[in-house]
Amino acid sequence: MSTSSRDRILAATQANKPAETLLPTVPDFGGEATPERFTAVLTSIGGTVVWLDGLAQLGPTLQQIFPDARNTASPLFPAAIPVDALTPNDILADIDLAVLTCEIGVAENGAIWLPEANMLHRALPTITQHLVLVLDHRRIVATMHQAYAQLPSMGGYGKFVAGPSKTADIEQSLVIGAHGARSLVVLLY
Amino acid sequence: MKVALFVPCYIDQFYPQVAVATLQLLQKLGVAAHFPAQQTCCGQPLANSGCEREALPIYRHFVETFSDYDYVVAPSGSCVYHVRKHFDKLDQTAEVQHVRAAAYDLIDFITNVLGVTELPGAFPHKVGLHLSCHGQRGLHQANESEMTPVRDGQLRRLLASLDGLELTELTRNDECCGFGGTFCVSEAGISARMGQDRVADHVRNGTQVLTGSDMSCLMHLEGIVRRANMPIKVMHAAEILNGLTP
Amino acid sequence: MNHAIRADKFLLDADRTTWHDETLWFVREKRDRAVYAVPEFQELRELASQIKDHTLSRLDLYLQEFEAAALANGVHVHWAADAAEHNAIILEIVRQQGATRVVKSKSMLTEECHLNPYLIKHGIEVVDTDLGERIIQFRDEAPSHIVLPAIHLKKEDVGDTFHTHLGTEKGESDPQRLTEAARQHLRAKFLAGQVAISGVNFAVAETGAVVVCTNEGNADLGVNLAKVHIAAMGIEKLIPRLSDLGVFTRLLARSATGQPVTTYTSHFTKPAPGREMHIVIVDNGRTQQLGRPDFRASLKCIRCGACMNTCPVYRRSGGHSYDFTVPGPIGAILSPNIDMKKHSSLPFASTLCGSCTDVCPVKIDIHTQLYKWRQVLGEADEIPASKKWSMKFMGRLLASPKAFALSGQFARKALRLLPHGLTHANAFNAWAVARELPEPPKQSFREWYQQQPQQIQQPAQPKVTA
Repeated sequence: MSTSSRDRILAATQANKPAETLLPTVPDFGGEATPERFTAVLTSIGGTVVWLDGLAQLGPTLQQIFPDARNTASPLFPAAIPVDALTPNDILADIDLAVLTCEIGVAENGAIWLPEANMLHRALPTITQHLVLVLDHRRIVATMHQAYAQLPSMGGYGKFVAGPSKTADIEQSLVIGAHGARSLVVLLY
Repeated sequence: MKVALFVPCYIDQFYPQVAVATLQLLQKLGVAAHFPAQQTCCGQPLANSGCEREALPIYRHFVETFSDYDYVVAPSGSCVYHVRKHFDKLDQTAEVQHVRAAAYDLIDFITNVLGVTELPGAFPHKVGLHLSCHGQRGLHQANESEMTPVRDGQLRRLLASLDGLELTELTRNDECCGFGGTFCVSEAGISARMGQDRVADHVRNGTQVLTGSDMSCLMHLEGIVRRANMPIKVMHAAEILNGLTP
Repeated sequence: MNHAIRADKFLLDADRTTWHDETLWFVREKRDRAVYAVPEFQELRELASQIKDHTLSRLDLYLQEFEAAALANGVHVHWAADAAEHNAIILEIVRQQGATRVVKSKSMLTEECHLNPYLIKHGIEVVDTDLGERIIQFRDEAPSHIVLPAIHLKKEDVGDTFHTHLGTEKGESDPQRLTEAARQHLRAKFLAGQVAISGVNFAVAETGAVVVCTNEGNADLGVNLAKVHIAAMGIEKLIPRLSDLGVFTRLLARSATGQPVTTYTSHFTKPAPGREMHIVIVDNGRTQQLGRPDFRASLKCIRCGACMNTCPVYRRSGGHSYDFTVPGPIGAILSPNIDMKKHSSLPFASTLCGSCTDVCPVKIDIHTQLYKWRQVLGEADEIPASKKWSMKFMGRLLASPKAFALSGQFARKALRLLPHGLTHANAFNAWAVARELPEPPKQSFREWYQQQPQQIQQPAQPKVTA
């Protein structure tokens, strides 16, 4: 069934498409690539930014922000729950804090690129109750154009994360913590 | 400069004072406009109803009537927009192209052809400006809230130049009034509700005189104001700029 | 039943109409603030428009490029000519897994194809996981907006629904607590999901990846916890390059909700080891629309919903008044392509104010297409016969100056002489439902003009035509 549909769709597309037009070149547009801008925007969409005085401060800082975290998952310190790509769902479901490194921060919208290689398990960044992303402040760019220009090979899966999971589906009232992480903290160093 | 006055059919029949004000205002600005008596309509009511084919004879009659003039000026941006945009259905003879380019809304003509952005006179009232969509979004006579927070435009400037005139700052600066040509009867419920909401915005923000440059929207809004006995006077901008008092 | 009749039903509850209008206007204002804050926003719209135009002009080639890249990524690619084939393909994939539990994130395409009832009929449990979608699934309603599917409901309505289906306390209407109840309920569904279905916001030809944008994270949770991911996409979702996402991700959320970007912008390129990923590419009328020169630009739509939020008619008539999967202005230009007779009133459900065109992030000339659909419908006799005949009559009248002047005189006289109760009777005159007719003057302008001194009448000698 699919083969003939494929051919019919492609034939109809070819027959019905308009005359070819040019693909434009997208300029860079510049913009402000500062940690201040990134912090201001991410804060405005529900995220939190904390400066780390070097990676050595990671443990104490986490202890301070999440004193009650028990079921932690992270490649950065000896976490409570070891997670890899084969970790079953019921174990993932109990994780309350995931601490992961991320690659690029976007100042215009507070989005942060998180590739699969940094996730331990693809579901971890969304199933954890709270998410902490560690970002080198020199990796902050101004816009999405600059972010995509810097992305290496996409890998199998990756995502921009901009703040905690949220919804406004009930009367446009903003609620933080829909299905994914209830909070997002970005630790800048 | 040979200027013709185009008086849309509903203005001719129901708001002759608006056409008179237009004629007199142009006279004050040094333009002696002529009213060709054989004119009828731009054909928009038919075309907007899906009957463009039936409108073609009207288009042709319009072109015949006005092709000898340098400018065709009308106190209604919607008709002008229709001539400019939708007369593309005619064969694009030199006459058709000329008439499409020569058609001007009154306020656009005053601002861009005559180069006048200020007028003498006083109008010591709180005036609410209704921006008509075809003039604003179609003919670009005013900024749009879709693009910029800056509220600026041709008529806003002309009105602001009158002594004592205070412009109402509306909550929604440029929402459609709901007239929409035949929409006002085919979707009468929504049309009325849109008009009521527009008028309520004016009332809430203190409008005493509601004005605009397109009489079709004003006819609809006036109908609502009069039905509800609201303390608002509706006047076409040509009347205000021509020195009429409410 | 036409749009006006359904709209009148919505309008009966004046307070709710006010609330609906103001709620969506609030979204429009958020969009405005986000747009004003990006100096190059208008330039981005133009770029997005050009990228989409270009993509449509090479769509067959980009589809093949996309397919080849996806296959190389280890993804299964399926092609569906119509809704029935789309549904059959998905059921077959689900059955091959021996699965009975499906979680689904938002996909207007699966709504368009009526996938849910089809799967349920075949014994599959389908759970919509977007909060708004879950609410209307419980209520067995259609979405009333493509981004805010439950925007027609008030929090008390949601509270009643959750009381019935999730056992929340009776009278509970706090959005925070209702959302928490849904979170707990849906977590169990995510963890148990065997197959996850998602929509697609963008499909990148050069990488074979599909990009899904959500705020709730439901697509990521569903897909990454289930063994199989099925992504359903219309052929128009393609963009050529990964870098084009720079343009579209800057436009989409700002236009939709006024956010700088959606919380999650997820790129699904390859299945995780040991798992499966399927992409279903669907036509269902799209190639036909591609073949309509006046209307093909509607395929550029990125489903942001900005045209709904700004539309003064939509805000006051509600999404269900359109009786089509995609409501609002964009729905009114997409629907006649699917069924011209059924949706013939939708292109007339507009004042042609043009605001939709001016908020559209890919610059679709929506109001111009509405106007053009009216002509197509008029030619196809899909407008009321009475309207057609009166327009024919008017056409003859308005092409004749003499007849026009006489009929004007007659109408004014009639208005002056007939009693108000007759001229304003709602049964004869829809104008009068809420409006007074203009007060007819004694003289028309042309009658006045005839009486003026000659010098005013003839200031300029008309050009002598050769």
